[in-house]
Amino acid sequence: MTSTPLQTSHPADLTPPPSGASTPQSSSGIRRFLASAERRRVLYAFAAAIALFAIGEIVRPGFGSFAGIRAVLVVASFVGLVAAGQFFVILIGGIDLSVPWVLNAAAILVVTSSLGRNAWAVPAGLLTLAMGTMIGALNGVGVGVAVLGVPAVVMTLAMNGILEGLTGGLTCSSCAAYAPPVIQAAVHHPFFGIPAVLFFWAIVIAVVSVVLSLTTFGRATYAIGSNPRASFLAGLPVRAITIGLYALSGFFSALAGITLVGFGGQAALGMGDPYLFQSIAAVVIGGVYILGGRGHYIGVVAGSISLVALVSVLMAVDMPEYGRNIIYGVVILVLLLLYGREAPEA
Amino acid sequence: MPPDPAITVAGRPFRRPRWKLLLAQNVGLALAVVMLILSLVIYCVIYVAAQHRLPGNFELTSTVNTTMPLAFASIAQTIVVLTRGIDLSVGGVVDLSNAVAAVKLGDSLGSEILWSLVVLVIGATCGLVNGLLVTLGRLQPILVTLATLSIYQGIAIRVLPQPGGQIPQNYTDAFASITGPWSLLYVIIVGVLWWAFRRSSLGVGVFAIGNDETAASANGVAVRRARILAYVLGGVFSAISGLFLAASATAGDATTGNTYTLTSIVAAVLGGVSLFGGRGNGVGAILGAFISTMIVNILFFAHINPLYQSFYEGLFLVLAVVLVGSVGRLMRKAM
Repeated sequence: MTSTPLQTSHPADLTPPPSGASTPQSSSGIRRFLASAERRRVLYAFAAAIALFAIGEIVRPGFGSFAGIRAVLVVASFVGLVAAGQFFVILIGGIDLSVPWVLNAAAILVVTSSLGRNAWAVPAGLLTLAMGTMIGALNGVGVGVAVLGVPAVVMTLAMNGILEGLTGGLTCSSCAAYAPPVIQAAVHHPFFGIPAVLFFWAIVIAVVSVVLSLTTFGRATYAIGSNPRASFLAGLPVRAITIGLYALSGFFSALAGITLVGFGGQAALGMGDPYLFQSIAAVVIGGVYILGGRGHYIGVVAGSISLVALVSVLMAVDMPEYGRNIIYGVVILVLLLLYGREAPEA
Repeated sequence: MPPDPAITVAGRPFRRPRWKLLLAQNVGLALAVVMLILSLVIYCVIYVAAQHRLPGNFELTSTVNTTMPLAFASIAQTIVVLTRGIDLSVGGVVDLSNAVAAVKLGDSLGSEILWSLVVLVIGATCGLVNGLLVTLGRLQPILVTLATLSIYQGIAIRVLPQPGGQIPQNYTDAFASITGPWSLLYVIIVGVLWWAFRRSSLGVGVFAIGNDETAASANGVAVRRARILAYVLGGVFSAISGLFLAASATAGDATTGNTYTLTSIVAAVLGGVSLFGGRGNGVGAILGAFISTMIVNILFFAHINPLYQSFYEGLFLVLAVVLVGSVGRLMRKAM
């Protein structure tokens, strides 16, 4: 691993993830910290989230209160979980368009296989996560195996259709419709006034950040994203890691499906649809480079919170649907123009 | 293997037969033709088995009329994909043009022509915004069009909040006539236009950018101009798609166009357009659109549960792409 020259050009391995380092002591520390455009983007994403909470508090007092922030964070955690998977594949320049129906199929599978009973909740959850991981791995095989050579857009788009058909065709409408109470409790149960799902998200944030920053798997992921050819020549198992990353994306989509069904209590056809564009937008607002190789999950977290805060602010001012769509698009464009631009041509 | 001018056969420089070159350059198109013929044959067999007669004028007409909007949307997608971009806002522009047509088209011929032109200008403007953001804004096409998709959809809903509006009868007769597959005429026109586009300096520029932007720039292609115009053309064709959709539906709906974002990509890929840019054919994209419709028709007459429809579509898409890829590789090896 240490032999890859790519690593030296990658600033991420010099310091721990920026979340812990956001309050440097000296001004030179701040300057050094901000020298990395990547870390600046993470800060911008957090600034956007805070600004949106401030705007929300102005237009609708109470928006920025503890309860208001908690409500936004809970919804953001679902986006954040899906975006974690999306982030993994975008890091190697891929994309996962199968998110909506992996999530939806997972939500339905966990409900129907557990029959809504507590006793079967754990095996049903494991079965569902295995299903998501396997679907993701299949995506990875299609994208990563050179002989097949299917573009990521086509492979995952087709997989989305395949799952939509299977879910619609196989779901028995008379089966159990409610998530086991224990899964609902695992999402809702408050500790110190904070719902369990937020603690769970915090753990995911920590694990994803550590895996990407401190393990060979993480370093290899960034290397492949920066230059797949050089990584291959340097001896990295490019194909296996590609399959693994798509499998992770499927895993996280399934995980989001389980938590969503725990949150809402019921599964419904079409519940995954909003999460496709939201997960991509969250990743991009979080300062991740869409062509791969650069970005941190903590930025994606900020992106998820910003997105959900934006939608919540627009709902709070009773903005009609068309206005929400327009402003949503304009805000994404403005954020991209502020910090998501390519380097100018030499 | 690149041709080596030093190789001679019987004293003359070796040259491959012209048809072989043409075929090798248009593998995707050739395979699209094969897939379309195959799907037509399968469709006819299943239809005869189910209805005990051959499909007639009515089936042909309705197939053509339902495919026309997708055909134009897939051309819009193709032009942008050729520059190594992608246009997710196709669905939004289709929505917008569909909504404007439903609200504004009057009964007089003058009003129809005027507002059709206005819709085309709106489409061109949407494309221009995409193109400017991609080139001058230096943003990735997938992100720009993701954001503008949301904006265009929002404007479309503002124009036509509820499904409705009215499309004049003679407009429907002109673009989605139910008396016969006359709309195929527009396919021929587009084919001729594509032939001209491919030979224009803009067309050459678009293909050159998709193959190698640096080399294109070094060879005097106005890269920015060609890319912006590609997005503008994409917007215009998306707007045409919306007009055809309005004509065949005889009313407007600001959300029916949403599906065209993804189906236009599928049709383009089935038609042999490479998502990596620089390779593809507008006629192939039209064929891809017809293949998509034929698959739906086949599934319908084979009495496949409609809930499973997208399963088979997805499966077929992957198989088709793998097939096209491996046949292309085999042909290159064989030559």
